[in-house]
Amino acid sequence: MAITVERLRRTFGSFTAVDDLTFQVGAGEIVGLIGPNGAGKTTTLRSLAGILRPTSGHVRIDGHDIVGDPIEAKRRLAFMPDEPHLFEYLTVEEHLRLTARLYTVNDFDRRAGTLLEELELAGREKLLPGELSRGMRQKVVIACGLLRDATTLLFDEPLTGLDPIGIRKMRATIVARARAGAAILLSSHLLHLVEEICTRVVIMDRGRIVADGTFEELATRADLVEAGSNLEQIFMRVTGRT
Amino acid sequence: MLSASLYIIVCSAKNRIRMRLRRLREPRYLFGAIAGVAYFYFTFFARIRGGRGRRSGRGLDPSVNAFTAAAAAGPAAAGLALMVVTAVLSLVPMTSSLLVFPEAEIQFLFPAPVSRRQLLLHRMLRSQLGILFFIVVFSLFVPSSAAFLRLRTGLAMWILFATGKIYFAGIGLAKSRLTSASGPARRLAWAPVALLVAALGLAATALARAFLGRPVTGVQDALTRFSDAAATPPMRVALLPFVALARPFFAPWPWPFALSLVPALAVLAVVTLWVIRTDEGFEEAASQASARSAAARQARMAPAPSARVAGWTLALTGSTEGVFMWKNALQVLRATSGVALIRYFVPLAVAVAAMSTAVLSSRGNVGIAMALCSIAVYLAAFTVLLGPHIMRTDLRDDLRHMELLKTWPLRAAAVIRGEMLFPGIVLTGLAWLALLCGTILSAAGFPRLSNAWRFSGAASAFVLAPALIFAQLTVHNAAAVLFPAWIPLGMSRPRGIDAMGQRIILFGAVLLTLIVMMLPGIVAGAALWFAFYRFVGPVVVIPGAVISLGIVLVEVLAATESLGPAFERLDVQSIERPE
Repeated sequence: MAITVERLRRTFGSFTAVDDLTFQVGAGEIVGLIGPNGAGKTTTLRSLAGILRPTSGHVRIDGHDIVGDPIEAKRRLAFMPDEPHLFEYLTVEEHLRLTARLYTVNDFDRRAGTLLEELELAGREKLLPGELSRGMRQKVVIACGLLRDATTLLFDEPLTGLDPIGIRKMRATIVARARAGAAILLSSHLLHLVEEICTRVVIMDRGRIVADGTFEELATRADLVEAGSNLEQIFMRVTGRT
Repeated sequence: MLSASLYIIVCSAKNRIRMRLRRLREPRYLFGAIAGVAYFYFTFFARIRGGRGRRSGRGLDPSVNAFTAAAAAGPAAAGLALMVVTAVLSLVPMTSSLLVFPEAEIQFLFPAPVSRRQLLLHRMLRSQLGILFFIVVFSLFVPSSAAFLRLRTGLAMWILFATGKIYFAGIGLAKSRLTSASGPARRLAWAPVALLVAALGLAATALARAFLGRPVTGVQDALTRFSDAAATPPMRVALLPFVALARPFFAPWPWPFALSLVPALAVLAVVTLWVIRTDEGFEEAASQASARSAAARQARMAPAPSARVAGWTLALTGSTEGVFMWKNALQVLRATSGVALIRYFVPLAVAVAAMSTAVLSSRGNVGIAMALCSIAVYLAAFTVLLGPHIMRTDLRDDLRHMELLKTWPLRAAAVIRGEMLFPGIVLTGLAWLALLCGTILSAAGFPRLSNAWRFSGAASAFVLAPALIFAQLTVHNAAAVLFPAWIPLGMSRPRGIDAMGQRIILFGAVLLTLIVMMLPGIVAGAALWFAFYRFVGPVVVIPGAVISLGIVLVEVLAATESLGPAFERLDVQSIERPE
């Protein structure tokens, strides 16, 4: 399994943001991580990316523990956060070059050129983040994530700030990466996007998993049969919002 | 609106105090608060008490009589000064803080069904907290042991500042009306400036009559003539509001002071009424002022960088340390603006010049070469001892990007070393440059020392400079890893007495750790000195310095390696975000 999460727990003081989380994501899978605000999705993704240290439990990326063997685990990871964090003093091209150096990317010029074209960043290589719109900054983060052949891609609200063309391209890119064998975990509030591209869904509420399975599995689950076959209805039902 | 305004003020103040008290449950804030309170106690209150004890044994200072004599002309002189300052500040393009609405207030109050006058009153009320805080702090500095003198100064200052704040808001509103489409509105906007110019003209005429007729024979004569001029009807009229505001500072306690408050409060009331009644340009002026203020604040917090060509392209392979060196170099190159240079170099130049002048005066020798040598030596000392504290282009600054750094597949020890590399090299370069100048001029700067001593000392300083710089950078970066909540991010500075205490503790800890790091080298150098000085003379300090450098470098390596696990454990949530 590309991503293995075992009994993950993360607390902030006396508040438990994520509790007893266990799930796996295999190569080629696109798993949607959904839940209401404050469910613990971002905390989960940040724990998987090595930003937050789990209070207890384990996260393994291609078998490498994110705490015990962080360098090997992170080498295989690409995390695209919802809020683009960039170095305000480095240009778009320098961000890509920095990523290439950190992750030892071969064939940098070709890959960077293709990505810049694909994400409509061509012509903006010499600009600083402060000179870009939020959507463009988001694209730079995505470009840095896609520059390398990461086996595991973590997306936190990947479509935030993108225009319709960017959204369409992003969707296609995610699917293409999964087809190429990457394991993808995607957090989003856009249930139609999750329904459209994800092969499986993990629904979280109050830090815990309340549902995990393919749409068919969830729709046929005994307690959810009455909810209907649509993800929104299932979501409302499992999170007790109906 | 008044109740809503009071609700915002009271709730904001209450929550801020509650938040600061609540965070005292964490030891780092509690220790910080204890250190901050102790600092305040020993700096202010103990001094006041000490001063009271000393004064009780003495008679009245003779200079007090002279001061009392000069104080007779005080209200008029202060009023005149106030008028001139008001005139100058009215002409200078500046933003009235009363018109600067925080984003939240713009979002909530502007669309709310409240009038412009109510919004203005709200800002006037809100500004009182800031004025009161400033006055309380200032009153602590008033060099007097009598509580009533502090109270008198505080009340007088409150009326003066409140009036000034409201008056300049009125000027801001008037300026925004200067571009009004309506002719009468434009003409009316000139009224305050015209009044001020007329008042200045009256005062200038009266003073010219008093002083230009015959030459001034002394201070006493000048004061008498000024008092006479101030007593003439035109100047009295011109200075009336300004003298009314200045008089409470000079009026004896208690009844004359209480009486002097009446005209001062009347001026405050008139100015408030004027501003409230001329609120047509309020939205325009407020939005412009808020935008200007927000832009200025943003520029202070994170100066807009420019994508200057660096001429240094990052190689696609190499060490981790090299990545951070490149990144930090580009940051410094692109972030350094003229303003930043002035901010750092003006205080540095003043400090170096002051120290050099003091030393040269004490020696009675002011030759240019000697002066330059002194400046170079002080500059080197400043760079070595305070440079690592000031130049924060390392992990202290990169705590802001910790979420990104934590996702990179890098050895933590290499990250910490890489972060220190660029500031260390720059500071070493600056220190060496200053030392080189000092060495060249050392014959003039240190005439009593032999050549052997001067060159041995200089060579040792060259060797020891990087040791001291990297040792300090290690301590600062270790503090960033171990106590990230104590490190201010970017240009922001956490506020509160506990935050001040944290800075004091951190500074003390840095000094202590630096001493501990340098101690083995000093001991080794001392041993060499005692063993070989009699055989080789002052040259022995050079190998001593080299050994110290070696020891410090080993310590730096060991420290960064041992900080690796702490860096891995570093919780991004513990990084203090600006309030």
